[in-house]
Amino acid sequence: MLWAVATVTFFAVRLIPGDPAEAILGGPGSQTSPEALAAVRAEYGLDQPVLVQYLQQLGRLATGDLGRSYALNMDVGPLVLSQLGGTLLLAVLSLGVAWLIALLLATWSTGRGRMAARIGTGLEIVGAALPHFWLATTLIVVFSVWWGVLPPISTADARGLVLPVATLAIPLAGFLGQVMRESLNTALESPFVLSARARGESDRGVLWRHALRHAALPAISLSGWAFGSLISGAVVVETIFARPGLGRTLLNAVTVRDVPVVVGVVMVVAVAYILMTIVTDLASSLADPRPTEHGNGALS
Amino acid sequence: MPRPGIVPSTPRSATFAVLAGAAALGLALTGCTTAASPDGGGKPTSGGTLTYASGDAEPTCLDPHVGGNYPQALVSSQFLESLVSLDADGTIIPWLADSWTVSPDGLSWEFTLKDDVTFTDGTPLDAAAVQANIAHLQNPETGSSTGYLALAKVTGTEAVSDSVVRLNLTQPDSALLESLAQPWLAIESPTALTRSQDENCAAPVGTGPFIVDSWVKQNAITLVRNEDYTSPPADAEHDGPAYLEEIVWRFIPDSASRYAALQAGEVDVIDNAQPDTISQAESSDTIVHLDAPRPGASNRIELNSGKAPFNDAAVREAFIRSANVDDAVASLFQGSAERSFSALSSVEPLGVSRPNLFDYDPDAADELLDGAGWAEKDSEGYRVKDGVRLTVVFPVSTNQSIPAEQSLFEQIQATAKETGFEVQLTKLDLSSWYTALGSNAYDAVSAPYTKIGPDVLRILFHSDGITPAPSGYFANHAQVNDPELDSLLTEAGQVSTGSTNADADLRASLYEDAQDLILNGFYILPLYDQQNHFLLGSAVEGARALPTVSTPAFYDAWLNR
Repeated sequence: MLWAVATVTFFAVRLIPGDPAEAILGGPGSQTSPEALAAVRAEYGLDQPVLVQYLQQLGRLATGDLGRSYALNMDVGPLVLSQLGGTLLLAVLSLGVAWLIALLLATWSTGRGRMAARIGTGLEIVGAALPHFWLATTLIVVFSVWWGVLPPISTADARGLVLPVATLAIPLAGFLGQVMRESLNTALESPFVLSARARGESDRGVLWRHALRHAALPAISLSGWAFGSLISGAVVVETIFARPGLGRTLLNAVTVRDVPVVVGVVMVVAVAYILMTIVTDLASSLADPRPTEHGNGALS
Repeated sequence: MPRPGIVPSTPRSATFAVLAGAAALGLALTGCTTAASPDGGGKPTSGGTLTYASGDAEPTCLDPHVGGNYPQALVSSQFLESLVSLDADGTIIPWLADSWTVSPDGLSWEFTLKDDVTFTDGTPLDAAAVQANIAHLQNPETGSSTGYLALAKVTGTEAVSDSVVRLNLTQPDSALLESLAQPWLAIESPTALTRSQDENCAAPVGTGPFIVDSWVKQNAITLVRNEDYTSPPADAEHDGPAYLEEIVWRFIPDSASRYAALQAGEVDVIDNAQPDTISQAESSDTIVHLDAPRPGASNRIELNSGKAPFNDAAVREAFIRSANVDDAVASLFQGSAERSFSALSSVEPLGVSRPNLFDYDPDAADELLDGAGWAEKDSEGYRVKDGVRLTVVFPVSTNQSIPAEQSLFEQIQATAKETGFEVQLTKLDLSSWYTALGSNAYDAVSAPYTKIGPDVLRILFHSDGITPAPSGYFANHAQVNDPELDSLLTEAGQVSTGSTNADADLRASLYEDAQDLILNGFYILPLYDQQNHFLLGSAVEGARALPTVSTPAFYDAWLNR
């Protein structure tokens, strides 16, 4: 899996037209002497055939060496690690907030009649459809420019986290909420709910103690995917809110064809994605109300 | 060799000079700087942190000797200083060098350094320090592009005494002082230069009013005050240490966020202000606009005269006549940019402007094309000749052309279509754009070029600039190949340096003739100066743009909060 990721990424970046050596020396607006270009090509092995470069890169990766950034003058490993924290914090907070919003919305609007259900569904659909770019800009205009209550850029304290987290969490909450509502409604119509009611559980008790566990399952499975989408959302959000992180690193690296950094970031994201999938699988089995013995798959 | 971009290079005024101050030559230069803050802010107070938000790319190395681009110049101007500077009139003035003399043959320059200046690591500024810097710039391992090219005529250095350093040249260089004034040729501590390149890139050591304290990549560079500062340029407002205690230099790539951060008071100064935010700021009483066009070339569309269809001067003129630039600039730049009719920036004293050459005149364009054999039109309204459509391939660098400029190109595309040109605009990122140029796959292109002084004309229009470097890159995008122009540019660059007005007049008239050849040949369509707008919160007093390459200077700045 990781090998496939590295290979696809390497060739995807190298196939975009553009000369990494020019990009390394140039940056926006400089003039490059041929001597300097030749030196850079030799230093980074860019004068070798692409296939050789690919094998060298793969060889380094196999030994855990992510290589050295063309553009940033530093090793990719420490670079990626230094930027990982900011993005992870953003992604984890956003996932948590999205879950909270989705849960509150789904439970509030379920079983309260058609009006509440419509409002809930409406909010979820609109939320899920909001593009990060638009949402970020709107939040900045409202909360930073008009009301002046929250900073539009990252700050040393937590205030700077509010708008970026909201930008990532709102659309995700829309997705999670839609899934949760659907499975909640299905669960509420299931036979086990009927038997719980027969035992004298209240409506709220049924909802919170029984149905919700069922309803949460698909949303938990979806969280693995959601985590991946948060990382891609981080590219936009980190750029707009001027936050350090992997998303911004990735964007800059693609622009200057900084192959080692692109591969490094994508590898780290792939690893995080795999780990997250394992975590959601574990969480699913913990939340799963069905009996866990082998062969016993009967619905409750 | 050189490449496009925001490159730097030579100064804006004439150079020669026997002693500092004698350099003026009587050329009136319009300085590009303007005092930012309305006076009346009261007496400067010391202390405080200024937060600066840059929309330029974060440099990969803070040492402007390495590579040498504008983002490096912006921040390094805060902690590194050059041998000479320019004043607001474009006259060369003393900075780290108090005075200078040149030999009668123009091949030997002696600079006398200011006394008692030390780098912030304690190393004294002496002749050997300057020698080490020239050697560092000329060492291929440094990877200098801009500084390296600016020193092309310098063959060696000598320490005449502790405080006098001599530069030896292969040919007279009328642009030498202008070159040395650029931030890409700043003087760094020779002790610090012996460190590894990684270490030096992270925290270069200079003589400036601020010191690099830390650099957290993709977040901020923190600069602290140099308490022992003694070397302000001759046009500074005060002596001694800077007023500001600290500068936090941030990178906020998104234009709207940058402006919102300024409005919210999270930052004090932003650069790369776009026309929409400038026009908002103009109507605000809490934000001050500082317009500091960059020196060197004007922003212009270069027409590739090296191949059809623009190898025909009549077709080039027809294209220029068919483009309604004035109306588009007025509406898209909302008054923040003034139309240019010159190959050079309006801050270049030797620039000439020829407005009558660039009138929007579609009727004249039609006549020119009819006469040039492009009389037929196809079903879509485009002109054809021998079955070939009149197509203009125009790659646009999204890194170098701001959104308003990209829209301007679209409007030019629309008006040129009425005359029968099919303009194919392609938006490309920087690497792809270089590749398009290197493979000669363009008919029109626009690239900024920052450099102090008219010597930029040699880089952009001398036929030597057509020969691609091994990288495939070349600066003469218009592919002008005119022996008469070549000899004018070469001669102007070698005007034997003396301090006489006759030399200055000769240089000026050679550059005027050269510009007339370029403009009358319809190789370029000038648009406006290279835009460089700063917005400052009202608490910031005393900030200005340095008249060299228009980078912001905060030595005299203070906070009135």
